[in-house]
Amino acid sequence: MNNTPEIKFESPTFAKRIKGMLGVDFYRLFNTPLFYIFLAIAAIIPAMVSAMTTMLGPDGNQITLYTNVWQIIASSRTLYVIEGIADYANMNMVFIFGGIMVSIFIGHDYKSGYVKQLFTTHAKKEDYMISKTIVCAFAMACMCVTYFIGGTVGGLLVQYDTAVNVGSLLIAIFGKIIMSVGWASLYTFLNVIFRRYFGVSVASSFFFGTGILIIGAAAIVEGLNLPTGFLNIFLYGASVNANLSSNIGSLITCIVVSGAWAVIYNIAGTHILNKCDVY
Amino acid sequence: MNAVEIKNLSKNFGPKQAVCGLDMTVPMGAIYGFIGENGSGKSTTEKMICGLIPTSGGSIKLYGKEYTDEDVRAKMGVLIEAPGCFAGLTVFDNMMLQAENLGIANAEQEVIKVLKMVRMEGSAGNKYKNCSLGMKQRVGIAMALLGAPTLLVLDEPLNGLDADGMRIMREVFTDIIKDGKRSIIISSHLLGELQKVATHYGIIRHGKMIAQMTADELDASCRTYVAIQSAEMNKTKILLGCKYSRVEEDEAGYLRVYDMTTPEEIVSYLYQNGICVTEIKTDKIGLEEYYIDLMNGGKR
Repeated sequence: MNNTPEIKFESPTFAKRIKGMLGVDFYRLFNTPLFYIFLAIAAIIPAMVSAMTTMLGPDGNQITLYTNVWQIIASSRTLYVIEGIADYANMNMVFIFGGIMVSIFIGHDYKSGYVKQLFTTHAKKEDYMISKTIVCAFAMACMCVTYFIGGTVGGLLVQYDTAVNVGSLLIAIFGKIIMSVGWASLYTFLNVIFRRYFGVSVASSFFFGTGILIIGAAAIVEGLNLPTGFLNIFLYGASVNANLSSNIGSLITCIVVSGAWAVIYNIAGTHILNKCDVY
Repeated sequence: MNAVEIKNLSKNFGPKQAVCGLDMTVPMGAIYGFIGENGSGKSTTEKMICGLIPTSGGSIKLYGKEYTDEDVRAKMGVLIEAPGCFAGLTVFDNMMLQAENLGIANAEQEVIKVLKMVRMEGSAGNKYKNCSLGMKQRVGIAMALLGAPTLLVLDEPLNGLDADGMRIMREVFTDIIKDGKRSIIISSHLLGELQKVATHYGIIRHGKMIAQMTADELDASCRTYVAIQSAEMNKTKILLGCKYSRVEEDEAGYLRVYDMTTPEEIVSYLYQNGICVTEIKTDKIGLEEYYIDLMNGGKR
């Protein structure tokens, strides 16, 4: 007679697994002061930049960064290469704040030993990548909203012109919110690579978040009088392409580019998690 | 069917071989005491069992299935190094998050039940960062117990626990394996405590399993000795050393004679030489001494 006790093993379905993970990550997001601090930063920075225009420069003249409220949200046209702080200081900065926040958020996963618990019981690493991408993209989308509020209030207080093509403005805002997905997957991927080195994770997120590589590449391409449109296939390129002269094509570009990079980074991140040690 | 069946397992970290050709068998319903020096490969082996680090060679089977099988892995509990709690959240919230991750139905009741098992229900509202080391350890064990796992892997679970905490954990571990289906792997340096609960042992050295045995086999392997105290210990030691091949003084101040002899024979011998024995007893060496002996090349 066989005395071996019967054991039934049954793992949760994908839907149940991802629901559980999202539940945990969203709970953590809403219960960490970090999220609210970054929401506040995203609101205060554009307001501060607007306020700078009320100050006098070294030559005694008033600083003029913008002429229109909505330029704080997005540039007037596609500017891969920036000529001044005004060209750069728009809603794209959210992706830098977001990068730092994501690094800290994921860093806690490793520091606390949470990933050891998680990856022991969750054999499928793609769940982790998907959950982190969704939650971090949501956090960045929220930052876009607070940035919009801060920028608009600041711009109105310094009495900028408010004339705008509403359709383009909405496309610019939604385009950047959609780009949050791609950026979040990039940051999750970077943090998976540099999981052992928290400082490097933060620094790399900041580095890539500034778009410095694309700005540099664009400067070379423009210098050679070559077409710059292909830069839109990159996250930074598509992000600056969502601006105050955008059309529906820009929005589609944002959806395709953000979605494609999210898939690529999720696959690459899953592969790394499967092949590498969990610390 | 065994809970864990490892064959010829190896793991390299660059040129360093952390585990080499390790065989390990954990039967169902066993509390497996996994013992070894620091850096011997215990944690690396445990992490491979948990799928946290990929293997470099060999095979790991959990309940007859590959260790990567998601169905088996979904029924594991683990405490390796850190318990996976977030410092700013309460103990209860941390437990609830883990319950949610595991997809446990009636999560709240399950969390309360497990917290009661480790006697932490009164501290459920404390923030994790404000918990003492012992409390954190209890929370870590509670996290591992959530969802009634069939295989528990606990790395140094007794560290930081007070005497009462250790007693409670012994009760918890013993209770878990009662049904004969669930198994526990415990690595610990507190060998005295481990000996009170373990049903099986595995001793690892330099990444290789050097001994595997049941508690009964260990008991049979542990030698008997005669411990003596007298009014003149120095003289007694010299006299015993003349007659017996192995005489050592232990931490409690007894002279131990490991040769095959009887207390009567020793008392008689010492009496003839003018020594009055004040105390004499026979005892067996424990796991700790057995382990030390094994590490020293099986001296005893």
